[in-house]
Amino acid sequence: MVEKSNNKRQRVNQVPKFSINDHHDVLVEILRRLDGPSLCSAACVCRLWSAVARNDSIWEELCFRQVSPRPSLSLRSVVSALGGYRCLYFLCIRPVLARLPKLRWTRDQLQFSLSLYCVHYYERLYVGAWLGDAPPSSLMFLRKPVNVV
Amino acid sequence: MKRSHQETSVEEEAPSIEGSGCGGGDDNMDELLAVLGYKVRSSDMADVAQKLEQLEMVLSNDIGSSNNALNDTVHYNPSDLSGWAHSMLSELNYYPDLDPTRICDLRPIQDDDECCSSSNSNKRIRLGAWCDSVSSDSTRSVVLIEETGVRLVQALVACAEAVQHENLSLADALVKRVGTLAASQAGAMGKVATYFAEALARRIYRIHPSSAAIDPSFEEILQMNFYDSCPYLKFAHFTANQAILEAVTTSRGVHVIDLGLNQGMQWPALMQALALRPGGPPSFRLTGVGTLSNRDGIQELGWKLAQLAHAIGVEFEFSGLTTERLSDLEPDMFETRPDSETLVVNSVFELHPVLSQPGSIEKLLATVKAVKPSIVTVVEQEANHNGAVFLDRFNEALHYYSSLFDSLEDGVVIPSQDRVMSEIYLGRQILNVVAAEGIDRIERHETLSQWRKRMGSAGFDPVNLGSDAFKQASLLLALSGGGDGYRVEENDGSLMLAWQTKPLIAASAWKLAAELRR
Repeated sequence: MVEKSNNKRQRVNQVPKFSINDHHDVLVEILRRLDGPSLCSAACVCRLWSAVARNDSIWEELCFRQVSPRPSLSLRSVVSALGGYRCLYFLCIRPVLARLPKLRWTRDQLQFSLSLYCVHYYERLYVGAWLGDAPPSSLMFLRKPVNVV
Repeated sequence: MKRSHQETSVEEEAPSIEGSGCGGGDDNMDELLAVLGYKVRSSDMADVAQKLEQLEMVLSNDIGSSNNALNDTVHYNPSDLSGWAHSMLSELNYYPDLDPTRICDLRPIQDDDECCSSSNSNKRIRLGAWCDSVSSDSTRSVVLIEETGVRLVQALVACAEAVQHENLSLADALVKRVGTLAASQAGAMGKVATYFAEALARRIYRIHPSSAAIDPSFEEILQMNFYDSCPYLKFAHFTANQAILEAVTTSRGVHVIDLGLNQGMQWPALMQALALRPGGPPSFRLTGVGTLSNRDGIQELGWKLAQLAHAIGVEFEFSGLTTERLSDLEPDMFETRPDSETLVVNSVFELHPVLSQPGSIEKLLATVKAVKPSIVTVVEQEANHNGAVFLDRFNEALHYYSSLFDSLEDGVVIPSQDRVMSEIYLGRQILNVVAAEGIDRIERHETLSQWRKRMGSAGFDPVNLGSDAFKQASLLLALSGGGDGYRVEENDGSLMLAWQTKPLIAASAWKLAAELRR
């Protein structure tokens, strides 16, 4: 009897422990399936998860979740040149969805968000070093609290 | 008491005193006045009437200097007519034998329990119910008198009529009265009225605002702020871009001539849309027209746009033209390449200043026609501020800018810097429409139907803007807040941005008339 349980203990000891933190690609695959708020929570779990969550492909997946057809490679290069999908999500897409929660998220809305993102990029280029405390932002209309009549 | 009174904001109630002094009603209050919201004891009627007459005399003689005094102090709730008139008179130093005990003796109003909490020497009293829009530290107050808004508009129009009939002394008196009324009117109406009053005053005293008086970098800040904080410029840019995109779907090269480059905020979005075009982006050439004072700025702007184009992978070329007047432009300045490029001409709020010189608009449109564009996009204010009669222009402008200022009101009590700057931006237009004349008057807005006639006689046919433009504009306006006040309206193929059903901006697209295209 004792021998059997010893074997069992040995067998248990031999099985390697699995930690998700050792497998970043698996973690990325899991995070890609989350929705916006959950993803933001996940990014706050620990430093490692925060770093992994900066992987732009996760945010790309989030931006295009309900949109078809899928984006082309040229879109990816444009968006990453303008600052990446994560910034696109936080600056443009999330405020739009927050302002219009019933909005059907289609390619048109995505295009519109991209245009806003591009204007924002250009404005930062144009204004350059700003001496005041609040540089002008073309996206401020998305952030201002709105009177819902 | 029975004399006919000149119109002042309070005195209309006074004539009702005749024959109405019946002693009934609660607490001896006059019933008729109570219906209007004024609480006056029947026994005090004669006294109140007398005070009001004195007040009227003082105000009409003294209105210039007393303005400041009235603005700096806090007054009783005007429902208590007696106390209010008394405090006004004592502020204006009319009542030399002021009896300090009377201030605290007055009957407190039920819904305002702070009325009597002052000491004799300190007349700064906070008005609870009336002051909820002002911070508690502020010693200014708003003397809210019923129907001031209507009276304000009446005074403004009366003043404009006086100016129209060259009755400058009457106009002078009226404009001062408008100033007082405007200062006490809260909200958009007060601000608009203040700008119109200033413009009328400039017209009366013949101080013509020079359009070059403003610092160009401040001008730029105002424009960027106006772009950022309200949807008008965004609507203009996005709608024009959509029309351009639809016209260049199969082109290998696009050349855009922008008649008013400003900060180039329209072009990043177009370049991004071109970059993502299925089949790859066309080459994009931009020729921007700017003012002479801004040569270096235009150069910088070209660099920044080139940087953006490089980042998103669009082949880009930029050239800048500076000119004092758009009508000085000649077709060969643009170096068009008709074999390889589709030409687009874009004008956002740039056509109406050209109307200040006779014959210029025809020359400009002839130049535009001569370069043979595939599409011309025009966005202009939807208003007729270019009529021959001053009074008509004034009334139109009052209606138009009241709507505009109303749309800027976001319900936030302390105005943000952005809103103030937007108001300054619009205020300068008001000054120009009302006070300037001749070549200086550049804000010569015309309605879409007027522009349609001009474009038609210059040899252009209209292009329908399509449902994509409509949907995009609707999305933009839905995101812009304003509590659903913004609307897109379709008008015979053109789009209009309206605030509370009043159209404010009109966007249209044009192509060369059929026989000219060959």
